Amino acid sequence: MGIKLRQYVRTHDSDRQALVSIHDYVREHGKPDADGLRALSEQLKLPVASIRGAISFYDDLNEQPDAVRVCRGTSCMLAGAKETHGRIRDHAPCEGVYCLGYCDRSPVVLRPNDSVVVQCRYRDADGLLNAHVHPPDTPSVWHTVREPIVTARVNHGECDQLEYARQEGVYDALEMAVKHLDPSRVIDMIEQSGERGRGGAAYSAGKKWRMAAQTTADKRYVIANGDEGDPGSFIDRVLMEHDPHTVIEGLALCAYAVGADEGVVFIRSEYPGATAVMRNAISEAYEARILGASMFGSDFRFELSVFPALGSYVCGEETAMLNAIEGFRGEVSLRPPYPAVEGLWGKPTVVNNVETLVNVPWIVSHGPDAYSALGTPTCSGTKAICLNHGFEQPGIVEVEFGTTLREVIETEAGGGRDGTPLVAVALGGPMGSILRPDNWDVPICYDAMNQRGIRLGHGGLVALPEGTDFRALIRHLLRFMQHESCGKCVPCSLGSSRAYELSETLSTTRDRDGFKNLLNTMRCASLCGFGQLMPEPILEIIELFGDQIFDGEGSGS
Amino acid sequence: MSTGYATIDGQLVSVGPGDTILDAARRCDVDIPTLCHCDGLAPEGSCRLCVVQTGDEGKIEAACHTAITPGMRVRTMTPLLHDLRRDILSLIANQHGDRLTADADGNEYERLLAQVGTNGGNNGSAKSDAVDDSHPYIRFDPSLCVECRRCLNVCEQVQGQFVYGIEGRGERATLKFGDGSFVDSDCVSCGACVDVCPTTAVIDRDRMNGQVADTVTDSVCGYCGVGCRVRVESKDNVVLRINGVPDAQVNHGHLCVKGRFAHAYHHDPDRLTQPLLRDGDEFRPVDWDTAIDWVTKRLTEIRDEHGPDSLAAITSSRSTNEAAYLLQKLFRTTIGTNNVDCCARVCHSSTALGLQLVTGTGAASASYDDIERAKCIVVAGANATEAHPVTGARIKQAALNGTPLIVIDPRRIELAEFADVHLQLRPGTNVALFNAMAKVMIDNEWYDRQYIEERCEGFEELAEFAEEVSLTQASEDTSVSVDAIHRAAELLRHNPTLFVHGLGLSELTQGTASVMTLCMLGMLTGSIGIPGAGMLPLRGQNNVQGNADMGGMPNQVTGYQPVGDENVRERLEKEWGKLPPTHAGITIPEMFDAAADGKLRGLWIQGEDVAQSDANQNHVIAALQKLDLLVIQDLFMTGTARYAHLILPAASALEQEGTFTNGERRIQWVRPAVKAPGESRPDWRVAIDVANAMGEDWSYDSPAEVMDEIARVAPRLFGGFSYDRLEGDGIQWPCPNRDHPGTTCVHADGFLRGKGQLVSIDYEPSPEQASGQFPYVLITGRVLEHYNVGNMTRRSPNLQLVATDQLEIHPDDAAAIGVAEDEPVHLESRWGETDAPAHLTSRVSRGTLFLSFHDPDRHTNCLTSPYVDPQSKCPEYKVTAVNITKS
Repeated sequence: MGIKLRQYVRTHDSDRQALVSIHDYVREHGKPDADGLRALSEQLKLPVASIRGAISFYDDLNEQPDAVRVCRGTSCMLAGAKETHGRIRDHAPCEGVYCLGYCDRSPVVLRPNDSVVVQCRYRDADGLLNAHVHPPDTPSVWHTVREPIVTARVNHGECDQLEYARQEGVYDALEMAVKHLDPSRVIDMIEQSGERGRGGAAYSAGKKWRMAAQTTADKRYVIANGDEGDPGSFIDRVLMEHDPHTVIEGLALCAYAVGADEGVVFIRSEYPGATAVMRNAISEAYEARILGASMFGSDFRFELSVFPALGSYVCGEETAMLNAIEGFRGEVSLRPPYPAVEGLWGKPTVVNNVETLVNVPWIVSHGPDAYSALGTPTCSGTKAICLNHGFEQPGIVEVEFGTTLREVIETEAGGGRDGTPLVAVALGGPMGSILRPDNWDVPICYDAMNQRGIRLGHGGLVALPEGTDFRALIRHLLRFMQHESCGKCVPCSLGSSRAYELSETLSTTRDRDGFKNLLNTMRCASLCGFGQLMPEPILEIIELFGDQIFDGEGSGS
Repeated sequence: MSTGYATIDGQLVSVGPGDTILDAARRCDVDIPTLCHCDGLAPEGSCRLCVVQTGDEGKIEAACHTAITPGMRVRTMTPLLHDLRRDILSLIANQHGDRLTADADGNEYERLLAQVGTNGGNNGSAKSDAVDDSHPYIRFDPSLCVECRRCLNVCEQVQGQFVYGIEGRGERATLKFGDGSFVDSDCVSCGACVDVCPTTAVIDRDRMNGQVADTVTDSVCGYCGVGCRVRVESKDNVVLRINGVPDAQVNHGHLCVKGRFAHAYHHDPDRLTQPLLRDGDEFRPVDWDTAIDWVTKRLTEIRDEHGPDSLAAITSSRSTNEAAYLLQKLFRTTIGTNNVDCCARVCHSSTALGLQLVTGTGAASASYDDIERAKCIVVAGANATEAHPVTGARIKQAALNGTPLIVIDPRRIELAEFADVHLQLRPGTNVALFNAMAKVMIDNEWYDRQYIEERCEGFEELAEFAEEVSLTQASEDTSVSVDAIHRAAELLRHNPTLFVHGLGLSELTQGTASVMTLCMLGMLTGSIGIPGAGMLPLRGQNNVQGNADMGGMPNQVTGYQPVGDENVRERLEKEWGKLPPTHAGITIPEMFDAAADGKLRGLWIQGEDVAQSDANQNHVIAALQKLDLLVIQDLFMTGTARYAHLILPAASALEQEGTFTNGERRIQWVRPAVKAPGESRPDWRVAIDVANAMGEDWSYDSPAEVMDEIARVAPRLFGGFSYDRLEGDGIQWPCPNRDHPGTTCVHADGFLRGKGQLVSIDYEPSPEQASGQFPYVLITGRVLEHYNVGNMTRRSPNLQLVATDQLEIHPDDAAAIGVAEDEPVHLESRWGETDAPAHLTSRVSRGTLFLSFHDPDRHTNCLTSPYVDPQSKCPEYKVTAVNITKS
């Protein structure tokens, strides 16, 4: 997808908010028939086939309207989301969803009015739909560092309000930078700080910015990636909901540094709360003339908007995200070109994860040295680790890079809930790692972990207590993969389906070999990180707990 | 350019910038299996079969989209890779059960199955979506589709059509088109998808029958003037299928719905197969000897009784250069008249004359390859995507790739959708618009001063003239806003520009002026004679360029040589042994006038249906009816042939040898792919037969010998031509000697005329003004699916795609007369009347109508006027005042 359609949009002056327009259409008229497609094609000035393909791609455009959305993320799945789903499904329109980002209080349900019900124990649909529930509180957030960076304002009252946020010092770094710092100096600071992207790939933020800044172009874009799709991770949701102005500040600093005048906060539709708060914060920032024509009276202009995503995990991948914003199927594109060189509408584009951006103002105000003094030599700063409901103390803990996993799991999280022993943890979501206790002494550090074949991902931890049904976990992961695979490459799209099919009847060691073989092919040959990494935790489960699946107790059937 | 060396399976290979591993591997004959990859298209990267291992750690990468770098060590055949490929292919194979199986002699995908192998045991069952056979040519069978997306990519990247899409995600991601069935999609039936499909999931009716050809012939398409090279597969003298020649310079393997698919007419039972002689109201078949004797006698009688100028000939732009050359030679020498013209008169005569007057030659200065090289493209009065589809597709791609595009056309044609600026002018107001653009460019000093000073004359006059031009008046005349004029002029600023133009400039009473004023923009922008820029008229018919080149002109003999020029006559006398009269002959419209007046007694028409295609049909038919002798060479009993005294069955483009010259002056070799039916005879042979019967001793054994004579007669343009140089892509004239490579860019070393002439010409409105009794303006022209008088395409399944000519009418105008889609509209002009079904579309603006002229029952040219351009005599097909009512 993409190259020619992007050119088509330019030559045809097509709607540059096509997905938003399509979503509006579907909400009003339902999915279009042939005549509707023609009408949309004329309205948006896009080929019929492109609109048809896009509609078919996004969950939100294909689900029943007014459905209850039951989280079936890993944490909720372990907490019995399936039963919740089953109970509700018979009485009300109901869709499963990956994931609502309340893993600390599973299971979770999103009602049609966008209100979230955590620790949902309703036995029937009526009770659930009619219950009066308070909006969920902020999760427990604490830290083990001298001064928290990422979570500093999450529990500080009402930082989603500009007035309060400014009292807390939000936008001070931005104001200082646009008034006193050369853009290239800001890039230098971020590069010197050693900050690495928190989305999982851990690429140097400063290098990415520099690449975008150095690419000749008449326009550049910056994007905050709020498509936190990893079940088990919810820091970005919490940041967007409770500290939105710092997200804006970080993105604005990035824009100033690279010379972008337009930004997008890409937020997944599973996070309606975050979308509402970010939108409100953006309009507050416009009113305060922080956003818009002349930031803090300077001649720097920065326009910012929210892009409400429509339900696709793969859109968290940069190139897929660009395709979605441009109005197409959220498929991944070949790289190079990298988005920093040729991104949104073909212009250099920096895509940074929300947590990455929240670190930026701190680095600018405290200086790169203060930042790089934290953490390990190759991983500066701190990391927010999300702990799901399976731990004694669920929530978010901010630790310095270099802290061991064991400290986090045993000291901070207090081990398994109610003292249940943990046989393992799932780290870093569905593309992360399965780690038994004998592996917990690894420091939280991309490189130390990489050396051991461990993927930190976005830093979510899901407790796997004794009695975990690992066959079910494998099936859960494969179902997720099968559902979310974008359909571009063969090993991922067809492999995930085939593997899910096979997982139903796994029992003998011969089954195991064929199954592993297939997973290995998917891992080796898939086009993007999704297809390459999704098989990893599954292969690890087979390695670590295969005896419970193949000719073992867990064989189920 | 090599940047260093890498190794592939131990072989040293030089690495060029931008090379992928696959590119390099192919260069050293290392075979890496691929499925989604398609040469000439951007890497798709989805099948992953081309995985290779690189470096010491054996990193796995896809060869098709991974750059190869100096020092890289690539392995393509490790056991791991073999396993991966087999596993991947097994996943695909599992999708369609036993519909596709390993077969070393099967289709590309089946060969891949045989080569790579699978894990066996297809558990999957074939996808069960129904076959879509809604389209008359192309069929889609979803159960054979492997979702490689080649069709989608070629559709977008070559045809620029965006018909295909992918629906669903993950395993369910499947290929779809448009909003439902194929025939209702935006497909333009170019067939490129069929060429690239590895499984025959997308296939066309010609390839479906599976018949194996006994003959494969490379030739040139016989439809429009693009001149696509075709590879014709035939069996037992029947055309089975036509493909584009993959590496052809003109079309790079691409074709359109006409060239690829509309060939059924060759074997249509309506084909004329023997000479027919009028016998009262009937025709009776006669043998060739009788026919030749009869016509020789009649020609001689009329010449002797009324003088040679009572006879005239129209050479055929559908036939070969050699046929045209010989017919004009017959009339100029044996009969002794310059009354020779060709259908360029009624299409691009204004273009040829306009270009000749201001540049020194009447043909394109540029070449098609300039489309990709251009920094800016103007398309003026040319609906390329329908009338010249392969060129149109290239222009679309250029626009998609970022070349600024200005479209000047009264209709919102497809290219307008791709354009940066569309100047939707009122029909016939080009001169006013171009003058206004020139004024803006001169006022703002946006012209190429150095180019003008070095290469042109007339700038001072033009600058003075431009001062008097009023933009508001121009805006009023053209109905284009001053702002739009400004924007267009600004896009041209400092950009040598490629000016692609067509009959929307030529077929006007100010046709020649339109072309000369466009050339003025070509000079102001410093474009003519510059690679990637210049004038590129899109010639209408396969050999209309060649017909004028060969001397199908009343004032010029072969190679545009003035008939009265002493040097020319000296050479002609030597080559021909006889000389034509020194006075010029008459043009086609003048022939009809002369016939109507009784001054012209006999007319020989080689392959042209003037009764349907020429303007002011009622007048043309009346003229034909008055002739004492009308000889027609044609494939079918056309509307014109009905008035003939002798009809000679002709050979089609695929049935004879010769050469065609395309719109970029490229002479290409035409070879017979099948035999002409019955006793039909190639046109060039007939001219020889008649000449010899009239006492000449013409002894040409082959078209190649005729070409040798052409080279001698017109050495300045054709001196270097000879069949032995025409293999492959042929040569572009001028090519004065055998060592000359031909000319892609004319006027490169300065204008052939000496200095380029900047013109200062006032806009003069057409006599056909929309007002009072005739308040609408009608434009006539072509549609994609049909070709001119339709006698070829209407004898093909194209008829299922478009059944008849429809009147394009703005929905508001349709509402005003109470007409709905498909309802008949009665059209009336000062010259005639007819009916046509309405097609409501905002492609035309209010007050403007468009009607094609392909259907003989439509009589579109009943409506068009007798007005012609005073210089070129080109009729004004593009502006007719009409009234419309619900019929």
